[in-house]
Amino acid sequence: MYDGLLHFLLSPEDIVPVVALALLAGLRGPEYGRRALFLLPVSWFVGCFLGTMFQWATSWPVAAISFLIFGGLVAANAQLSLRAMTVLAGLLGLVHGWMNGAGVPWSFSLVGAYAGLVAGVFVVVALVSAFVIRLRPPWTRIAVRVAGSWIVATGLLLLGWSARRG
Amino acid sequence: MKASRHWCVALIMIAGAAFVPSCTAHETRPAYLEIKEISPDHYDVVWRTPVNAGMRLPIVLQLPPEAKSVTAPTTQELTDSLLERRSIVVAGGLGGKRVDFVGLQGTITDVLVRVQLIDGRSWSTIVRPSQAWIDITPNQGRLGVAGTYVAHGIRHILFGPDHLLFVLGLLLIVKNRWMLLKTITAFTVAHSITLAIATLGYANAPTLPLNAAIALSILFLGPEIVKVWRGESSFTIRHPWVVAFAFGLLHGFGFASALTSAGLPSNELPWALLSFNVGVEIGQVGFVILILLLERAFRVLEIRWPRVVEALPGYAVGSLGAFWTIQRVAILAGVMR
Repeated sequence: MYDGLLHFLLSPEDIVPVVALALLAGLRGPEYGRRALFLLPVSWFVGCFLGTMFQWATSWPVAAISFLIFGGLVAANAQLSLRAMTVLAGLLGLVHGWMNGAGVPWSFSLVGAYAGLVAGVFVVVALVSAFVIRLRPPWTRIAVRVAGSWIVATGLLLLGWSARRG
Repeated sequence: MKASRHWCVALIMIAGAAFVPSCTAHETRPAYLEIKEISPDHYDVVWRTPVNAGMRLPIVLQLPPEAKSVTAPTTQELTDSLLERRSIVVAGGLGGKRVDFVGLQGTITDVLVRVQLIDGRSWSTIVRPSQAWIDITPNQGRLGVAGTYVAHGIRHILFGPDHLLFVLGLLLIVKNRWMLLKTITAFTVAHSITLAIATLGYANAPTLPLNAAIALSILFLGPEIVKVWRGESSFTIRHPWVVAFAFGLLHGFGFASALTSAGLPSNELPWALLSFNVGVEIGQVGFVILILLLERAFRVLEIRWPRVVEALPGYAVGSLGAFWTIQRVAILAGVMR
């Protein structure tokens, strides 16, 4: 369980998109926060098992794309519907969970590792989205959007790096 | 109806605990390697591996190829570990050479390594499964030792679910911040006292009864949490800090067991003890802050948990406390027979 938790907390390619989604949900309010909080860990868990089952991973720069999409949405303060948030949270969890699970051979101890991983996702989404919801002064919300633009910038760097590596 | 639902949750948790092999409290007891240079290029090696429920951890010590045994390894079986001693000679010394711990990657156990050289220099470090080897470079100062034991303390409390569950149980009982501060401080003071006196050798608690008593302390909090839900009162609910202090003394012996089972040398004990205790406090305070922040986050997110989910942390404390108590008393009874 701790292996999964530490893997998530020490993997910027996973934790940054989760933080971005939580920032986005926090900007939209408690209902969006709740949706992200409960949907993302579940879809991540399912994604992990699908990845382990099919043992296939895409060569696409998934982390960079996630940084761009979610960082961009935060930076733009996108006025998403709850349904769109649901789809995005589900996709993020499935794709990143799949990438976590792919390449890991099945064993019973994986259940604990995946449980630890999604516990990390749950805690990060809860803390970050609640923190953003509590922000009242207008400049703090701008600061959140600036954080989103930094995530986009990091995504661009990652994408360029991936393209260079071919 | 409500009562039967709660019983279902409790039964599921006990069944779950029974099927999760990681639900033992001291599974993360570290292995210990001591290398002591007794004359130039000659070393005494002590290699201790924890034994859990009769099973030795599958870690094999692999010394550099240049190491030749002077005496055949002797093995001694202790109640909680296996101790191997041997003398080796290494042409050119061990400096700059690598020691491997084969099989460590497949465990969640650390290896505490202490090297003592003939010129008086000594250093200690922790080898983790993610990097299952150590390159011998004898240049660790007091700060390095402190860093090693602070990290060891943090890992011990965060990876020892019994201590965390006890703290969680206390958090579920306390009613306000002042009470929380008093309770956590009482627990800290108490376990620091016994950690110190046990590590310095003034008192001792046998491991098996101690582990059973620690489990019992967790189980004790289960009914108290239920009383809080029912709006009832008790001595523990009115004065949780007293209970935290009393059981904190027990948990301190547990921490000392983790520290001394690593076989620490007497000349570094006070410094290692202080650093280890600081690490334990950092881990404990971090856990308390995380729980408080999560509780606040749930309120901000306006989450209305179903009654069963709200009761889950309390059931976790009670059920796992019961499971560990039965398990450890059974082990104790087995040993006494």
